[in-house]
Amino acid sequence: MKFLCIPCDEKMETQVDGIMPEEKKNLAMKFKCKKCGHSIAMLTNKFETEFVSKLGVQMGGTAAEATAAPMGVMAGALAGGKEELKKGAPTEEDVEWTEEAKQRIQKVPFFVRNMAKKTVLTFAKERGVTIIDAKLMDEVREKVGM
Amino acid sequence: MKTYEDLAGDGGSNIIEQVEALGKKLRSRLDRIKYKVALMSGKGGVGKSSLTANVAACLVDKGYSVGILDADLNGPSICHLLGLKNSHKLIVDDRGVQPGIGTHGIKLMSMDMLLSSPDSPVMWTEEADATAVWVSTMESTALRELVADTDWGDLDFLLIDMPPGSDRIDNIRSLIPELAGVVEISIPSLLSQHIVSKSISKNNKMKVPIIGLIENMAGYTCPHCEKEGPLFEGENVESLAKQKNISYLGKIPFDTRIGRKTDSGSLYYMDNKDSVTGKAINSVVEKILESTI
Repeated sequence: MKFLCIPCDEKMETQVDGIMPEEKKNLAMKFKCKKCGHSIAMLTNKFETEFVSKLGVQMGGTAAEATAAPMGVMAGALAGGKEELKKGAPTEEDVEWTEEAKQRIQKVPFFVRNMAKKTVLTFAKERGVTIIDAKLMDEVREKVGM
Repeated sequence: MKTYEDLAGDGGSNIIEQVEALGKKLRSRLDRIKYKVALMSGKGGVGKSSLTANVAACLVDKGYSVGILDADLNGPSICHLLGLKNSHKLIVDDRGVQPGIGTHGIKLMSMDMLLSSPDSPVMWTEEADATAVWVSTMESTALRELVADTDWGDLDFLLIDMPPGSDRIDNIRSLIPELAGVVEISIPSLLSQHIVSKSISKNNKMKVPIIGLIENMAGYTCPHCEKEGPLFEGENVESLAKQKNISYLGKIPFDTRIGRKTDSGSLYYMDNKDSVTGKAINSVVEKILESTI
């Protein structure tokens, strides 16, 4: 799926800071026209979200990211899964996530978790924050507005 | 106004690139496995898993390296049969998830290995309102990850222990197009044959190669005197094979010891090769080998 800015006749780009799933069943992605700066949001219902998740891909991700975490979809979605499975996902070295923040990011569907993480990390970096906690994540959500 | 084709890329998510990467990873695993065989039945309770484990043991005994994929996501039993406990620590590294090593060195991957406690059910969300679509979606994805993210290494055979029913074969065929074939299993009862008949018809329509049909629990063998007796009322399963124009791989009499490990920790076949049931398993495996190799 692609989005076109009609006045500029230019492709709208996915915004890394624009994705923030409201809950497991819904997805919101922001697209922006680089030329005029106009933004739109694509909102999916739970069935559309589930369809995307079946592909096992990450929104805004890369081929390397899609294959980086073994059994990544199950790690994120399997209730009662082993800790070793959940720890399989790559971690960031420069920041520390509080346990609550880890749990919250773990609740984000696998296929958009990477984007959500990027959003939080970018937000933290801009503010020189090295500890990511639930409060910071609330701020991100408020800022992104989704 | 520009069209879809005029716009380079796919909107920023590189979905095509990601799907291709996932496909390459799956292919890199499968290319190291010579033969992939699914053991299935339309009917539950016909002894698929016990038979799969003992067929694996027989193949190991013949010098082949074997792995078992437990595709029964909601009723996994291969860990139990191969003696892999729930406390087994899952090893996740840059090569993928390491398979468990069961008795006789048989590699395995099962949902049981991923769950934190032995009695945990497979649930994709703690929420009560999970939709059927969501569950179905997750099961398809889980199966792909179990195949593609397990570091199987080099194997001669990957046996796939299918769940009851014939719906999951669609997923397996899509994941493993070079499937050597499926082994259908039925017990003699008319009800079982009725349901297995549908499974065979579906595979024929889908052009899934069928290696043959096994008649399991074809009477019982007394473990003490080896005298045989009837177990189920029903017609000869061989006639179903003839009717469906597929190979009849043979009958395997029921032995009460087949579903559990022996005192030595082995699977039934290893310690009872010369029993009536042991010889029957060997005969079936020989026919599977003739058909696949």
